[in-house]
Amino acid sequence: MKRVYAYFPGCSAKGTCRELDVSTHAVAALFDIELQELENPGCTGAREFRAISEQLHLTANGRILALAERAGRDLVAVCDTCLLNLVETNGRLKSDAAARERVNAALAQEGLAYRGIIDVKHFLWVLTDDLGEERLRERVARPLRGLRVAPFYGCHIQRPSSVRAAAPGNGNDAPALDRLCRALGAEIVQYEGASKCCGFHVVNVQEKIALRMSGSHLTNAKGNGAQCIVTPCPLCHTVFDAYQPSIERELKSRYDVPVLHVSQLVGLALGLAPERLGLSRHVVGCEAVLAHIDREGAPESAHAM
Amino acid sequence: MSPSSKPTTESDIVRVRLYRFDPSVDAAPRYESYEVPCVPRMRVMDVLDYIHEELAVDFGYRWLCGTRKCGTCAINVNGSPKLACWDEAEAEMTIEPLPNMEVIRDLVTSRDGFEASLAKLSPMLVRKEEYAGFPEPLTSTQFAPMEHLRDCLQCLACQSVCPVIAQGGSAFAGPALLVALSELAQDPRDGADRAHIAADVAHVFDCVSCYECERACPAEIPIVGEAIEPLKRIAYRAGEGEGAEHAKAFLDVVKTRGYLNPTVLALKTRGVNADTLRMAMRMIPRGKVDLGQAFLERKPSGAEGIAKTYGSAEELP
Repeated sequence: MKRVYAYFPGCSAKGTCRELDVSTHAVAALFDIELQELENPGCTGAREFRAISEQLHLTANGRILALAERAGRDLVAVCDTCLLNLVETNGRLKSDAAARERVNAALAQEGLAYRGIIDVKHFLWVLTDDLGEERLRERVARPLRGLRVAPFYGCHIQRPSSVRAAAPGNGNDAPALDRLCRALGAEIVQYEGASKCCGFHVVNVQEKIALRMSGSHLTNAKGNGAQCIVTPCPLCHTVFDAYQPSIERELKSRYDVPVLHVSQLVGLALGLAPERLGLSRHVVGCEAVLAHIDREGAPESAHAM
Repeated sequence: MSPSSKPTTESDIVRVRLYRFDPSVDAAPRYESYEVPCVPRMRVMDVLDYIHEELAVDFGYRWLCGTRKCGTCAINVNGSPKLACWDEAEAEMTIEPLPNMEVIRDLVTSRDGFEASLAKLSPMLVRKEEYAGFPEPLTSTQFAPMEHLRDCLQCLACQSVCPVIAQGGSAFAGPALLVALSELAQDPRDGADRAHIAADVAHVFDCVSCYECERACPAEIPIVGEAIEPLKRIAYRAGEGEGAEHAKAFLDVVKTRGYLNPTVLALKTRGVNADTLRMAMRMIPRGKVDLGQAFLERKPSGAEGIAKTYGSAEELP
C-alpha cells in the first residue's frame, strides 16, 4: 500500500543537515512512502516567532498546515521543534474558532485557509506506527546486532503534554525511538540525560549553556558504552555533532561519539549504502559504526551457518 | 509514578532510602534505610511523619499546610519532584531534598537564594499613579493571562529540574521567579520596566525551552507558554536583550528569503569572530554550510507572499 504525506523538511534538513532530507527520502522509498514536499512553506519559527508574537507563531504554522490540507495529506516533519510548533498550532486551530478566524484572515492574503482536518506526525512515528515495528523488523537486511545506541529523544517530541498527546498511543506507549532501535536489532544504552535538553535554542546567544548541557549527556552516553547517539531532531544533531569539537574544548574532554539521524540508522539496518544516507556529511565520522555493522550485521542466516 | 514503581496497596511495608545530611557536622551526605508499616494509599508525608515519630527523631523535613497550598514540602521521590503532603507514597522510595538547592538539614533546603532573587525583580505592583477610587476594577479579560500563574505554590519543583540552573554559570532566574515576574508584567496596573527586568535581571532569554518545569509543576501551570514566552514578547517589543535581537534577525531572514538560512542567521546574531570562523572551517568541508546559497542566491519566488502574511501577523500580540 502506497502511503502519501505532505512533507515539511524544515531549515536543518534543507541546510546544515541535508543528509537528513536525503536519508529520509531514501528510507521512505523502500517502504513505498511518498513524501510530497510543500512548496514555499515558510518556517515554523523555532522558538523565535513565539518570542515575537503569538499571532505570528500561529499564522506561520497555520500557513504550513493550510498548504498540507490543500494537498489533502497529513503532514510529516523531521524536526522535533517543527513538530511541536505544528502540533500545538494544529490543536489550537482545531479547537479555538476565534484563533482560526484570525489566522485565516492573515492567510487569505495568499488565498489560503485552514479548516483543521489534517494531523501532524514525525517521520519516526510514521515508521514505528503507521508502518509498524513488524514491517520494519521484516525489512532489516543488516541487523544492528550488538551496536550500542544511545537514544536522544529531544525535548519537543516528548514535552509539553500537547505533543505527548499527539504521539502514538497518546504518549502512553514506550518511546517510539526505543521501539525503533529494538526493531532494528540495536542494543539500547540507558544513560542519564537521554530525555533531557541539548541546549540548541540558546546556542546562538548563550553558547556555553548549550555546550555544558550537551557535554554532560555525551559524557554519560559514552560512559555507559554508547557507540553512537541516535536522535529524531536535527537541532540536537547539530549540537552533538557540529558542536562536538566545541564541547570537547569547553569541557576539556574527548568524545568522538558519532551522531546519527533516525533515518540514517534505519537506512543502515535496511542495507542502504552509507553514501545514500549522507553519512560523510557529519563532523564526527561514523567509520566505527559502519565497521561494527560490517563485522556484525550479516543477515541472520549467514550468522547461523 | 514511574513505570517500575509499586503502589502501597500491594505491599505490607514501605521501604525508604532516606537522604541524611547535616552540613554542620557531616562531611558528606549518606542514605539510611527505614521500613514503615504500609497503610494503603498513604501519602509521602505520612511516611515521613512515621519515620520522624518512631524511627529517627532527629530527621529534618518541612511542611506547613498539609493541603497542597503552601508549597514548602516539595522533595524528590525516586528522582522526581513531589509534594510530600499530596502525592501518594510508593512501596519503595528513595527520598531526597530537591536538587539545585543548598541543604540546611536532611530534606530541608534553603529558600534564601530564591527569595533574594525574587527581591531583585521588584516583586510587587509598581504604580505610576495611585488609582483614585476604590475598589479598582480588573476585568476578567485583563485578568485572564495571569489566571494560571496565580496557582503557583512557589514549591520550587520547577527550579529543581531546570537544566540551565543545574549547569550553573548563568544568571538565569529560573521558572518559579519568571512565573512571579510574568504575573506582574502582564498586569495592566503595573508600571515597572518589566522588559528590562525580564531581559537583563532575570535573563529570560537563557531559557532553553525544554518544558521540564511544566512537567514538574504540581499546579500544572503552562510555565513556558503563559509565563516565559509573554515575558520574551514584552522584552522583544522593548528591544531588550540579545535574545530579542536574535528573534528579530530570525524573522528578518525568513521574511527576506521565505525560509530560514541558519548560516545567515548565525552570522547576523554572532558576527564574524574566532568562534564563528572555527565553526565555518569545521562545517564547510562537510557540506553543512552552503556559501553560495547564503550569499549569492537571488530572492526566491514565494518570499513576498510569506513576508506579507507574516507582516500582517507580527504586529498583533
